[in-house]
Amino acid sequence: MGSRLLFVDDEEGFLELYRTAFSREGYAIETTATIEGARDRLAQGGIDLVVLDIRLGEVSGLALLREIKAKDARLPVVLSTAYARYQDDFSSWLADAYVVKSSDLSELRQAVRRCLGAA
Amino acid sequence: MTEIPTRQRRKGWAQAPGRDRRTRDHLAALRTIRPRRVLDLLRRLSEVLDTVVDPEVAAWSALVAYTAGEGLGFNRAFLLLTEGERLKGWFGVGPRNLDEARELWAELRRRQVMPLEGLARPDQEAVRIERERHEVALSALSHQLVKGCGSWRRAFIGRGRHPNQCVRHWVSVLESPEIMVVPLMAGGRPWGVVLADNFVTRAPINHATLEVAETLAHYLRAALERTQLLQRFQDERRRRMAAEHATALLETARTLAHDLKNPLALAGGLARELLTEPPADRETLARQLTIAANAVARAEQRVGELVDGLTTRADSVSLRPVDVGDLAERLTEGFRPLATSRGVHLLCYHPARPVVAAAATASLQRCLENLLSNALEALGGRGGEIEVAVRDEPPWALVEVADNGQPLPPRMRGDPFAGGITTRRGGSGLGLASVRTLAEAMGGKVEYDEREPGWVRFTLFLRRWS
Repeated sequence: MGSRLLFVDDEEGFLELYRTAFSREGYAIETTATIEGARDRLAQGGIDLVVLDIRLGEVSGLALLREIKAKDARLPVVLSTAYARYQDDFSSWLADAYVVKSSDLSELRQAVRRCLGAA
Repeated sequence: MTEIPTRQRRKGWAQAPGRDRRTRDHLAALRTIRPRRVLDLLRRLSEVLDTVVDPEVAAWSALVAYTAGEGLGFNRAFLLLTEGERLKGWFGVGPRNLDEARELWAELRRRQVMPLEGLARPDQEAVRIERERHEVALSALSHQLVKGCGSWRRAFIGRGRHPNQCVRHWVSVLESPEIMVVPLMAGGRPWGVVLADNFVTRAPINHATLEVAETLAHYLRAALERTQLLQRFQDERRRRMAAEHATALLETARTLAHDLKNPLALAGGLARELLTEPPADRETLARQLTIAANAVARAEQRVGELVDGLTTRADSVSLRPVDVGDLAERLTEGFRPLATSRGVHLLCYHPARPVVAAAATASLQRCLENLLSNALEALGGRGGEIEVAVRDEPPWALVEVADNGQPLPPRMRGDPFAGGITTRRGGSGLGLASVRTLAEAMGGKVEYDEREPGWVRFTLFLRRWS
């Protein structure tokens, strides 16, 4: 069984895309559209990497990033967002990788592989 | 503007300076500075300075009170303000030399101008010109603060052998036998100083005027502090608005990225995955295609909203001061290589002083580019001339683009700015239509005429910045 990835994105379409694309590569995929869902799932343990959207409706994913890193600094988190300028926000620097959303998932794939290799 | 009492002027022109004459003038001056006149002068000036919002106008008003015949009657006056360790020339009023004084005062007499009456209706342009006229003298008067300046308390008369180096410098620069020095002190340091002299009439400075001069200077200082504070407040407000504007733009960009880029990335990503490995079951295929189609529809809707929003914003375009002459000059230079390659002689005229309009630089630039392109097209490679002229005609700042190419086709003459009329002369017609849209969005207008035979002229009217 491959690594277990948790995708957090408020858009169901992206979760479908991630499920399709990453399960083909042998990863175990879990998804959630809310911060609360992510907290609950992470509390259960067994997640090897989190792919986190920054804008989760009206809530910022950066708050969840800080929580995750406060509890387990070694758990890799890849930030995925449509907006490149969030890289200027120092809160985003806690993330292990920062990927701008694109129809081409190769950058995200590389970031996931790189972070899992380093973890 | 300077006017001096007739009696003083006659004596000044007619007699050489001398002790007896000085005594007589002194006594005469004492008689002329009556309490009622002083009170009237102070009342007039305080009424003006209480409401003035521009530091330059405040300085001009006070210095006119020093130099007006119905004021203190000095030939000229200057204001110097402290900047760091330096007293820097800031404003001046009055003639610069003997010839100018003769002309100026003759003109004032001929037109029966009473300068103090003009204080209530200051002409900003005249104030600016007055300041520029004295630039050389103001620069020469600027001087490093020296030790003795801190001990100044009251107005005094300075002469060539004065112990203070600043005073000696000013007497030397002004080439006057004596000058009045009115210090404006703050915390034991000069905040500024008013200098005044009678360099033309050589009339001696009357000690009785010093006290009134001090009072005027106090009024001036209060007005300057208030107007400078007001200006800083306005600058701060402008900076804050710009920062808020930038923040709003940033947030808009984030929202657009989320609302526009996300659905496109999603639709594209799903399409790629479907191409790489189509799902085995029809249900999954239908679901993923529906997600992609919905994402594209969402992006399409967002683009529509964005276009509507931009159209609305164009109606209330943000106006700023734009030096129209400078912009016209730069654009003309940008067009010159193309014009030269087509044998077109391109000329640009604008006044030496800035003609400042309330405009949005990008919109104005687009207007001028369209008009220049239109003129170039009209000449059709046969050579000719294009003239760009900037004129200041209150309340408008005008930019004319004229060419001696082919005239407008008859069907365009009714309304050359109506979009969609396609001719070679107007290009697609949309260029001129957008000029009108942009000009109107800036509170201006554009007109066309063929008054001069053989020439077609488009004139852009922009509101002057005030």
